[in-house]
Amino acid sequence: MTSLIQTLSSIRHRPGRTFLTALGTALGIATIVALLAVGAGAQRSAGQFFHLGASDLGLFQKDAADPTTSVLPQSMIKQLRKTPGIQSATGFVLLVSDVPHNPGVVVFGSTPANFEVDRMVFSAGHMFTGTHEAVIGDETAKQLHLRVGDTLHVKGHKLSIVGIYHLGVAFQDTGAFIPLRVAQSIAGRQDEVTTIPIELSVGTRPSTIKQVLAKRYPGISIIADGEESIRLGANGDLVSKAALVIAVLALVIGGIGVMNTELMAVIERRSEFAILSAVGWSARQIAWRVLIEGIVTTFLGAIIGLLLGVIGAHYLVKILGASEFVTPHITPWALGRALLIGVLIGVLGGLYPAWRAAHVSPARVLAQH
Amino acid sequence: MPGARVVVEHVSRRYGKALVLDDVGFVVEPGELVALSGRSGSGKTTLLQLIGSLDKPTGGSIRVDDIQVEQLHNPARYRREVVGFVFQLHHLLPSLSAQQNIELPLVAAGVSRAERTRRSQELLEEVGLGDRPKALPSDLSGGERQRVAIARALAGQPRLILADEPTGSLDSTSARHIWELLGSVQESRGTTVIVASHDPSLAEHSDRALHIADGRMIAPADAGNEPQQLPDVA
Repeated sequence: MTSLIQTLSSIRHRPGRTFLTALGTALGIATIVALLAVGAGAQRSAGQFFHLGASDLGLFQKDAADPTTSVLPQSMIKQLRKTPGIQSATGFVLLVSDVPHNPGVVVFGSTPANFEVDRMVFSAGHMFTGTHEAVIGDETAKQLHLRVGDTLHVKGHKLSIVGIYHLGVAFQDTGAFIPLRVAQSIAGRQDEVTTIPIELSVGTRPSTIKQVLAKRYPGISIIADGEESIRLGANGDLVSKAALVIAVLALVIGGIGVMNTELMAVIERRSEFAILSAVGWSARQIAWRVLIEGIVTTFLGAIIGLLLGVIGAHYLVKILGASEFVTPHITPWALGRALLIGVLIGVLGGLYPAWRAAHVSPARVLAQH
Repeated sequence: MPGARVVVEHVSRRYGKALVLDDVGFVVEPGELVALSGRSGSGKTTLLQLIGSLDKPTGGSIRVDDIQVEQLHNPARYRREVVGFVFQLHHLLPSLSAQQNIELPLVAAGVSRAERTRRSQELLEEVGLGDRPKALPSDLSGGERQRVAIARALAGQPRLILADEPTGSLDSTSARHIWELLGSVQESRGTTVIVASHDPSLAEHSDRALHIADGRMIAPADAGNEPQQLPDVA
């Protein structure tokens, strides 16, 4: 306790050095927080993409790298509807990067009535009825400044906007729905769909239907919940792995930075450690003092880094142009993990300087002064 | 606590090819205040460092009471419990108050906070700074800093005080106060005090003077034949 009080006193009397050390840690931690938040947000978005809102199960072609590359025969839908335990099934064609000025808009080819689109709440207009009509999400309307009566361009096709909806699912609210046949025509996939969302009958367990479908259709992936969709999403995995790699790099770089700063501080303060040694402090006591200083400083840096990271995550998705479909996902666990990493950096980065401080020769240093 | 008996026998210290101490030997009896005089670079500081276990001799032996200093496995404990150092440049930690500086050896010894506060306040009173426990070294004059340094050296209730040029950077009035303080420590506590200095007035304040030149002890009669003293820069 005393050592801690004296350490805090020592830190307070070197504000410049403390600030620079803390800043080095803060930048490392901010990077980790921002990347983890963006990674988690991307995974979450990928999960929503696969799971498609309100469906109980989502069917995709096996080993599809992302939802848009999945191809399933439309004829499956009829067979599925006849399966006991399945209340309803429908087919979607997903089109990505086909809307000019905003490649983040996902266009869903869909029938005008099914259990998914029936949940739409229209703030203006109504569901499309004709082949040259489209409805757009309220976020899309806001971003592209579109209203009912305007025209939506999808890969050269002109569709009249007849409604603006809200579904509460990020990908769908920043997207648009067009007739299934038009989407199939644009994608060049007649009688094929990208995915088949399924609604189960009340009381039916998803696992039971999964078993039945897996046996009947060996070439498909069946996704029952968001977590599963994240696991199956290759892109989500990539994002997750990239975030992990960068977090480890940040840990190493942050650790080296802290060690370097601490080491310089130790060299500057050799006479202080020599005095402590001369008045009877053991090598271990001196090492502890340096280590505690490192941990306290990096802890302060970590707290600053958390704030910077949370702010930075939002700027990062904006800079990357991904704000339409990725919202940084910041959880208490992610923040706690970053704080732990900060303390870990403090410990690892402080070990060598602590060892150096503990082995300062008092005779040599005091003679030089 | 009675002072320590110091026995130095055939001690030498070599740094590479340079022989800084050569076959040095003397005895200091418990409670003595001994002056170690000599020119700058004569080996006084090195000798004090060897006695204080801040360094190890290349040859010979140093015994403080029953402790064989050069064979110590835990020199930190010896420095904490047996000796107290006073340096020329006080060497107080600038970020700590006078009281916190005095408490440093007690912190290392694991003394409770209440006890540390009591002892450090007593020592501050003893050195005439009882009203300035919170003062930082930068708020104190040179003489006051040195008094705090003496109080710190006394904190662990040592049997031996090793003072290296304690008045070297002080004006004559402050220097006189420091000599008086060291004298009173010796008298009231019975502590053995070895003071290294090139201050000519040192002999007046000490029980006995030892002379060292070019790393060797010399007889008192020869001390006067040494070349004229140069100002100490260390």
